[in-house]
Amino acid sequence: MLELSLFCNGIVLGLVYAAVALGFSLVLGVSGVINFSHGITFTFGAYFFWAMYQTLGWIPAMILSPMFVALIGFFVERLIIRRVYGQDPLFGLLITLGFAMAMEELIRMIFGPATHNVNAPDFANGVIIVGDFLYSQYRVFIAVVAAVMVAAVWVFTEKSKYGSVVKGGMFNSEMVGALGHDLYRMRLYIMVLGSFIAGLSGILAAPIWSVKSGMGNSILMPSFLIVLMGGLGSIPGTLIGGLLVGICLSMGTLVAPRFVDMIPYILMGGIVYFWPRGLMGQQNIIE
Amino acid sequence: MKRLFCISLLALSFVAFGQAAPAGAADVLKIGVVSPVSGNYGDHGALERAGMEMALKELGGTILGKKVEFVVADSETNPDTAARRVRGLIEKDGIKIFMGGVSSSVGMAIAAVAAERKVLYIATNGNSDELTSTKAVRYMFRAAPSMASLGRAAGTYAIENLGKKWYFMTHDYSWGHSGTRWARDVLKKSGGTEVGEVKFPMGTRDFSAQLLQVRNSDAEVLMITCAGFDNVALLKQLAEYRIHDKMKVVYTLQEFCDVYPLRAAEHRGYYATEVSWDENEQMKAASKKFAEMFPKAAAPVIDNGNYNGYVAMMAIAEAIEKAGSAENVEKLVTALEGMEIKKNLRDKPTYIDPRTHQFLSKVVMVEGDPKGTGTAVWKLIKTYDAVQFDMTKEENPIDLTKK
Repeated sequence: MLELSLFCNGIVLGLVYAAVALGFSLVLGVSGVINFSHGITFTFGAYFFWAMYQTLGWIPAMILSPMFVALIGFFVERLIIRRVYGQDPLFGLLITLGFAMAMEELIRMIFGPATHNVNAPDFANGVIIVGDFLYSQYRVFIAVVAAVMVAAVWVFTEKSKYGSVVKGGMFNSEMVGALGHDLYRMRLYIMVLGSFIAGLSGILAAPIWSVKSGMGNSILMPSFLIVLMGGLGSIPGTLIGGLLVGICLSMGTLVAPRFVDMIPYILMGGIVYFWPRGLMGQQNIIE
Repeated sequence: MKRLFCISLLALSFVAFGQAAPAGAADVLKIGVVSPVSGNYGDHGALERAGMEMALKELGGTILGKKVEFVVADSETNPDTAARRVRGLIEKDGIKIFMGGVSSSVGMAIAAVAAERKVLYIATNGNSDELTSTKAVRYMFRAAPSMASLGRAAGTYAIENLGKKWYFMTHDYSWGHSGTRWARDVLKKSGGTEVGEVKFPMGTRDFSAQLLQVRNSDAEVLMITCAGFDNVALLKQLAEYRIHDKMKVVYTLQEFCDVYPLRAAEHRGYYATEVSWDENEQMKAASKKFAEMFPKAAAPVIDNGNYNGYVAMMAIAEAIEKAGSAENVEKLVTALEGMEIKKNLRDKPTYIDPRTHQFLSKVVMVEGDPKGTGTAVWKLIKTYDAVQFDMTKEENPIDLTKK
């Protein structure tokens, strides 16, 4: 029974990880930029939400705050990331990392160093009990939101006309540009979308972690890992990567609780050894 | 005549300037504060510095007529950075007295420099046992209680009042291990049962898998050693997984600033801690004053971080007064050994053990109040003398008086 509950827990965790990594994967796939400001946009989402959820209510604040984060994403792309397109990916990594560090200190200056509390919404504040099995309703809620997020992005890239252009941009950006599509605008939109998703993920994490300026740092590495496992820019790949990480972390506590956070790295090493582009990866913009 | 006047004026100005410069330097006593300013532990650093400033204000800003100036060096919670900055302050500013240090590893790095350069260092907020045992040096003192005192206080309270079947949750690094070690020591000696232990790495934010396992056990007590942002997440998830309904949650060390921001239902449990703001009237008055002085602090009351900063500063002031000056470090060390710090906001002075250089005062048990709001997140339930649980001579044979 414990094994089953840990497995289910792994799936829930995996969906959340996949959602967190989704924005990172999209920006990397479309723009070729290793966006290390992904973590800080996650933090911004949590802070904006904390600042407004008690006045506006849970759901309105959950919709509104990622929009502010998306606006930040807009300016980050226009003022910072745009400068490094087409250059060594290391430049993008460094410039976004520097920006994230500066913003983390700015958040501390504005909101103070203290941790801030966010409560789960009333409609998901209980537990689900089936026999010996107990699970938090809020976890199920965030898993549903995360699944909807992943599905929406998948439908967008697979089924919409603009999505197919975005997908094309992941593999051959020059060709997409040559066909008359505005590549810069497309990259801007993807950055805005990626920031929106990261902001929303930050909100979902807030009632479990609480809100603090450094909270975004802990999602950067898992995001990177998931993208490497699943394949650059691939949405099904991100989903698989996320689920693998979630299940490993949850089931791993049974086998090797002390080294549980190493398991995904070992798995990633194995996957990249056999599939250098990740499980669902194809030749892409970075190559 | 005119020439003579000019020469006299020049000579006078030399004398005036010549006197003014050293007089200005001699009237200022610089104390190095090595503490994290930025990064993840920045808020803990801010708290201990606030405690030091509060003590200095009470002292009127001077010791033995000298104006005290804090020179803050950001340790970045990095032992190498801290050691480098301390060396810099010794060489450039000639500083001989240091305090601060949120993490024990930083404390150990500064202690090594203190021993080498023969300067005084009071480690304020590191709890690892090594600071006063294997890594102890003559020039270092430690203001915070050891994990032996805290872990055994938590263990003793739990075994006497809460149950004898325990599950351990341990932050997987030296500090976490020592918390569990001393609590386990109590469990073994009293014939209790260990149901299981789960060790989790630093940086763990999601405890769902661990808590599902804990919940699946038949333990009566969950004994936790966990700190920092991980701990805030754990506190929230303990409530999320209704652990409190199944067993009693006990912490070997809890920080007020971690519990304070949470909603009422999330601060349930029994916590060992170094100080509680509701211990006595002095502490309550000091908490009020602290909140007025530092309205933006992470905890608006006397908490472990600011309390240890406060007591360290008071100890330095008393030592300088006893030694007659701040110049001779050997005299300061001797003055501190066996000293009783009266200005400690408690009824009984804090005693400094000359053998280990450990500050010995109290450790307290508090119970989280699931209905309390504002600063009433917990209430005091038991007070122990730290000396009752600190490492014995057999457990820690170091003797710094012999060195």
